[in-house]
Amino acid sequence: MAEVVLDAKGLTKTYGDMNAVDNLDLQVFKGEVYSMLGPNGAGKTTTVEILEGLRNPTSGTAKVFGFDVQKDYDKVRSRVGVLPQTFEPWDRIRPPEAIEYWAGLFGRKISKKEIRGLLEMVDLAHKDNVWGERLSGGEKRRLGIAMALVGEPELIFLDEPTTGLDPQARRGLWEIIHALGDAGKTVFLTTHYLEEAENLADRVSIMNKGKTVVSGSPEELVNLYGGGTHVVLKSAGEEGFVALEKLGYKSTFHNRDVTVHVPALMRTKDFMAQINQSGVAYKDFETRRPSLEDVFFNMVGGRMEEGVLKQ
Amino acid sequence: MSRMIADFKAFGLAYLRSRTGFFFALIFPVILILVFGAIFSQTGTQKIDLPVQDLDNGTWSQTYLAKLNATGAFTIDMISPDVDFNRYIKDELKVLALQIPSGFNESVNNATRGHGPPATIILKGDPTNTYFTVGMGVANAVALQLNSTVVAMVQTENLGSPQYTFIDFFVPGMIAFTALTTPMFSMSSICSEYRNRGFFKLLGSTPLKKSEWLTAKILWYTVLMLASIAIMYVVGIAAFSAHFTITPMAILLVIVGVFLFTSFGMFLGVFVSNPESASALANAIGFPMMFLSGIFFQLESMPAYLQYIAKALPLTYLAEGLRATMSLGNDVVAATDLVILLISGLILFMIAARAMSWKGK
Repeated sequence: MAEVVLDAKGLTKTYGDMNAVDNLDLQVFKGEVYSMLGPNGAGKTTTVEILEGLRNPTSGTAKVFGFDVQKDYDKVRSRVGVLPQTFEPWDRIRPPEAIEYWAGLFGRKISKKEIRGLLEMVDLAHKDNVWGERLSGGEKRRLGIAMALVGEPELIFLDEPTTGLDPQARRGLWEIIHALGDAGKTVFLTTHYLEEAENLADRVSIMNKGKTVVSGSPEELVNLYGGGTHVVLKSAGEEGFVALEKLGYKSTFHNRDVTVHVPALMRTKDFMAQINQSGVAYKDFETRRPSLEDVFFNMVGGRMEEGVLKQ
Repeated sequence: MSRMIADFKAFGLAYLRSRTGFFFALIFPVILILVFGAIFSQTGTQKIDLPVQDLDNGTWSQTYLAKLNATGAFTIDMISPDVDFNRYIKDELKVLALQIPSGFNESVNNATRGHGPPATIILKGDPTNTYFTVGMGVANAVALQLNSTVVAMVQTENLGSPQYTFIDFFVPGMIAFTALTTPMFSMSSICSEYRNRGFFKLLGSTPLKKSEWLTAKILWYTVLMLASIAIMYVVGIAAFSAHFTITPMAILLVIVGVFLFTSFGMFLGVFVSNPESASALANAIGFPMMFLSGIFFQLESMPAYLQYIAKALPLTYLAEGLRATMSLGNDVVAATDLVILLISGLILFMIAARAMSWKGK
């Protein structure tokens, strides 16, 4: 059984009458990329900051490498790398200087070659002479990741590392996170991008209003809570839509195409056989497997747009 | 230690790249020295502070002192006969002081009757100082007017004080001023900025300890201040032929001063929400302190109630101590000031370190 790196039990953080984190349990195992997914205000950052030893819980316990985050964090701090949600580099420090600085804080002497290697890893080698304040948003985050890695941590917290970045910069960061996973690092990632969690995480927990709604591997979640496959019947027309409704299928009609929701328990092959027997005419068909987005919709009852929950 | 050095290096690098920080730490004090030195080096129209020790306390000595006071040239401060007057003059950095010897009354009476030489009044201090020369002229004139015949005369006693000009007074004050402004103003803003921009949380995620971070800041400002002192020293000597020296006690005072005002800046930064408010608060506290602590003019020229306030301000002791050791070679006064500053610094440091948290709420 894999070593437990992070272990939280009954974690609660209260502000006045509001529970920002509400009786949360979680375990993260060595070498996995664990993603906490949820809309803004779900309590992700509060949770992550408690786990980083930067905020005290109101109740409950959290252990990192077996050490209590409130009492003994100093014993494990050098084994943990952190990229906060609001990361900004120092204005007048260049990337190589920032990495050397951070290495010094972790008590490491770092060579120019190692600095270069880290900068190349995060694709910032060409920016080695630029002050922090002049880096773009994506470059700043990448520098933050390089700084988080400089202490050679076993556990890395990445709190919404791609929020606000353009798609290209986001993909660039995904590659880095993939590489961290491949290197056997334990990564705790918070995000409100469903495709990010689906792409990167070995396990995902969906969080809403301070509580874990559901957790598991993306495949498990999709299979259990995705709600089945969607089949698009091309040019089935209004007649097809009416026929499918009569057959008891929930459908939508758009541009002469009909999209049918096939229940999770029914195989697509059986559904298509039934359609063909019923005489519904269509020119072509395509299937769409449910995604984490469907899981989220089914479990939370809304969709997320840039972190905002739309009910 | 390596963590502290890493923080010191990175902070220093960023600080030197900030033109504002560089200007206010190293250039601005020099500009003030040049401007104030040029304005005040040639003037001396204020009342002269005159400590008086009356060892006779007879009718004639009281008459003499009343007439002396009536000239309006002096602010007379009576010193107890029990005090070692020469020591007092040196410790309190006085350029002139007047002593009426015991037997003065009898000597004046004898001289009045033509039975003896005129009685003696002793003016002690630094004869090379302009104030001393002016003071001697007035004191002698008053002595000559005591009676229709010459019954008293002023003799001078050189206590061997070095020449003490405005610039000798002003440059140590400016060093104290810079030891206040550079660490206090910038630390208050830095603490606030670090909190708002998440730097404290970021640092909190590393093995760096709060005390190491604070010590690195104090070290940095000390190094910066030592550079600033060297520049002010060279400018003071080169531009105004100043007579002060940089003594080990002056270095100690600056280090303790930086420690105190860095802690004070940190303390202010803990309680304000943004760097602009921190800067405004530091200005609101720092500027009155500068004027009340005798940086630009002597405390003795202020009203008594302001002098009481000045005694409660740490900058007063830093300026006084630096003047004592740098301009007057009096390390006894400077050591007393050092102890006061050290105790105040330790108290402020402990309060600020306790109040400052890298954790979120």
